[in-house]
Amino acid sequence: MGKIQYPNPKFFRAKTKMNWKAQGENLKEVGGIIVDMLKETDWKAFGKKQLDNIKDNGRRLAREYKTVKAMNKDELLDLIKNGEKHLGYLYRKGAMATVRREWKGLESTAIDFVEWAKMWGLLLGTFSKDLVPALNTTFWYRWMISYMCCVGFMDKNTLGQRGKALKMSHLMIYDIFRYVAENLVLMAKADKKNGNSDELNKKIVLVDEMTMAQIMAGFPDLLGIPYQLMPVFLVSEIDQLTCIPYIDAVESYGLPADTCPVPSSECGALVVDALPHMGSCFISSSMPCDGSVMASSYMSRRFPDLPTFHLTFPVRYEYEETVSDAAEDIKACIKFIEEKTGAKWSWDAYFTAMKRFNEETKYELEKWEVNKTAYPQIIGPCYELFRKWNYEMDGGMDPRVPKTCQKVNKLMLEAYENREEAWRGKMKYRGIVWSCPAHYYANFSNWLANCWGVDILVEMESLNFTKPMETEDKEKALMDLARLYERMVMRRHTNGGYHNVVDELWRQCEAWNVDIIIMYQNVACKNMATLQGILDEQCRDKGYHMIWIEHDLMDPRTVSRKDMRAKVNEYMKTVMHAEPVDPSLLEFDDESCM
Amino acid sequence: MRDLKHLIYFENLLDNADNELVEKAKADGKLAIGYTCFHIPEVLLNVGNCFSVRLRAPRTGSIDIATYYMSNYTCEFARALTERGIEGGYNFLDGLAGVDACSMMNRFYEHFELLKMNEKPHFFVTHTDMPYKVVDYTVRQYVKQMRIRLLDVMEKSYGVDTSDAAIRKAVAEHNEVCRIISEIGEMRKADNPVITGYEFHILNLVTYCCPKYLILPYLRETLEELKSREPDEKSKFRARVAVVGSEIDDPSLTKMIEDAGALVVSDRYCFGSTPGREVIELNDDEPALEQICRHYMEVSECARYISDEKVAQRRATADRLAREFKADGIIYEQMKYCDFWGFERALVSHVMSEEMGWPVLSIDRLYNNRGSGQLRTRFQAFVESLEIKRIQKNGGVK
Repeated sequence: MGKIQYPNPKFFRAKTKMNWKAQGENLKEVGGIIVDMLKETDWKAFGKKQLDNIKDNGRRLAREYKTVKAMNKDELLDLIKNGEKHLGYLYRKGAMATVRREWKGLESTAIDFVEWAKMWGLLLGTFSKDLVPALNTTFWYRWMISYMCCVGFMDKNTLGQRGKALKMSHLMIYDIFRYVAENLVLMAKADKKNGNSDELNKKIVLVDEMTMAQIMAGFPDLLGIPYQLMPVFLVSEIDQLTCIPYIDAVESYGLPADTCPVPSSECGALVVDALPHMGSCFISSSMPCDGSVMASSYMSRRFPDLPTFHLTFPVRYEYEETVSDAAEDIKACIKFIEEKTGAKWSWDAYFTAMKRFNEETKYELEKWEVNKTAYPQIIGPCYELFRKWNYEMDGGMDPRVPKTCQKVNKLMLEAYENREEAWRGKMKYRGIVWSCPAHYYANFSNWLANCWGVDILVEMESLNFTKPMETEDKEKALMDLARLYERMVMRRHTNGGYHNVVDELWRQCEAWNVDIIIMYQNVACKNMATLQGILDEQCRDKGYHMIWIEHDLMDPRTVSRKDMRAKVNEYMKTVMHAEPVDPSLLEFDDESCM
Repeated sequence: MRDLKHLIYFENLLDNADNELVEKAKADGKLAIGYTCFHIPEVLLNVGNCFSVRLRAPRTGSIDIATYYMSNYTCEFARALTERGIEGGYNFLDGLAGVDACSMMNRFYEHFELLKMNEKPHFFVTHTDMPYKVVDYTVRQYVKQMRIRLLDVMEKSYGVDTSDAAIRKAVAEHNEVCRIISEIGEMRKADNPVITGYEFHILNLVTYCCPKYLILPYLRETLEELKSREPDEKSKFRARVAVVGSEIDDPSLTKMIEDAGALVVSDRYCFGSTPGREVIELNDDEPALEQICRHYMEVSECARYISDEKVAQRRATADRLAREFKADGIIYEQMKYCDFWGFERALVSHVMSEEMGWPVLSIDRLYNNRGSGQLRTRFQAFVESLEIKRIQKNGGVK
């Protein structure tokens, strides 16, 4: 058996049929917008801002020079070896990025640069597989521009990390970026407004971003793309301002502002035509909550000719009598995909992928075991993102991912044996994150660790289905797949009864030996909001520190990052009487920062 | 028009969940089973010695305690029920039939249990699962849920007769209520109807909130009364509207619309007559339970149904009712914070207006609206716009 190539190289080779006249017209329109922007720009103010920045950089350099000069030999050696410790100075009011990259010490900065180079190599290599439609996407969709900042996103997520912890973060985020880059290229090729590849579109099944991808494991000749993931969901983690135009558009259309920003943004993206026109069919879903259920009617309205299957699972998923009902729906979905694409479901391919998924789950459980000890090793935003992506989107399909898991776990065990600290010299409290985190503050756990020494050992969204998937018996396999889907991220906790999110929290707090609960409060999440009082009451009885942090998931205008941090600062100072690990991170401005 | 003989009595019945007829039925040894959602077939709660009570929280004032538990940006209906439950307003119930159809209402059932709102020894809260689309296997799924999670629970808790014969008996009684309400409802099609939207709302609502066998004599009498009722020579209404959307159990909302000059001729909302008051036709070949479940799934207009055909059905029903009842426009409404109807209303109000040509007023509202000046103004403006449209259609002002 030869080396498995993933994704199928045929997808990248599919012929495109670009309508050059339409591209020309679009370029003309984009050009007009750019000219307008140039005309409307206040160049005097722009020049002043640049001058201010130059002056500020000068002052910063002078300050840094003075600081270094004032250091004694040991401090200087520590700086050279372990890097800087005041990360708040990297932010500047009104800037879109940090003023410079973090100095992490000789070894870690070297690691960082090697990984940075690798990442650029990956991006250039992947985009060069079909460069023209991929780059042309920037002229059709504003969200594509935000992906230009992906390397900055990597930096943001690894702030303060050193040594093996840094290496592990890089390994994990590399896999996510590879997935994103490959899918962006393929989406650009398929998009009827852009690459317009009929050949590729026949092979593409669009899957609602909130639906797990594992069903596509049985269709190795097809490409399943979580449709809104790249234009809406993931990009909102990279750039906090991305979804604002979508939210505004759909609210102007009439949608109440109290709905969850995920389906709202998806619908808004449809209203402003920000989603590529592509695919042979669409799998919509009822997951994870009421808002997501409703987004599919907007999809049908925008693309009435796209055949759609509504994959719907029982909400009371713990009722054993409902599992066969869910399996029936999966069977019907498989049949639908077969009918719409002409492809045939392959049990061999499915079982192969599930074996990989089981292996990845095994590695995940090892991570949990280590993090439950007094020497947690693998924490931070890269891991949080990797876990969710691996569980939901990769799902064992990519044969390259188990190798990453293997490398990460090797590093993790080495670090554990050496009793290393995931955040050197900064670990003070053991924390757990409950409810859904804000997309626009994907690296909040990073700030918690760097500023206050609160180490987030695990998130609610990571604690999902860990039972090995059936890899032999076909009927049992369908039932297992149903169980897996029913326990997707968020749904596992917010559906099926309050005990899945309330009682489960106390169980996990005990298992992970937690001091602090970071209780996110997505102001539009009704499933969680309706348990606010019960959570408060029971938490008081059990004596945990619980910090409620409001956010609006994809809309930083409602609750800014600064407001989120203020909640923690206030609690840590007034209730815990704690001293910050890095006082420079208590107050800084990142309202416009990606 | 002359006042309806029992209207004030009916209005009084709606002033309390635990009303006079509920009390009487309890005194007769019957068991009161509460429910809040159309997805629980009402008729199944009327088997054996049980009777159904669709839960409302009339005269709701402060909902502060419920807001503490459920936060201030969640469905007010669910919060009002929780508040009333905490106050002891549902102590008369013997069971609560829940359905996990929308997350906020599900949390009401859960708080009912968690906060021990009713401590009768055999009291039950049951949670059933509800499909999102209507295909053969989801109908089977629904039947299974109603049997295992509802009827079996009733039987186990109180020894209720849930046999096929008992279900058919309940259907017969239910159908009589439906026939009467439907016949009265049809009267709204007349150019100058003998019943107002408000009166119909009251009549229909009592059929959900009172034991069927006790309300039926009043309904029969009211139907006869209406047959000979003389309408006003000149109707006071300046327009006719259909109301479509989420749960309304507050007749004062209908009153507010009618006070603004629009006769409500069709009530296509939860707790309305469409769906809810269609006769259930049973054959002898299949078990009654299966037929009932299929009936409820097919007639349901709940926005939670995700499948394309149900989405199309909802639009077609609203259009059909508005045409049949000669409405001049449609009011799409939703309870504030309702996700299902929030998305549905925003999109469909565009579809009905841009594709089907209906003048549409799209509103979100609180659970209790009688004091809302803002809504009143919007209704008045809508009525005026309908009048202007009519004038323009008839060739303008001469």
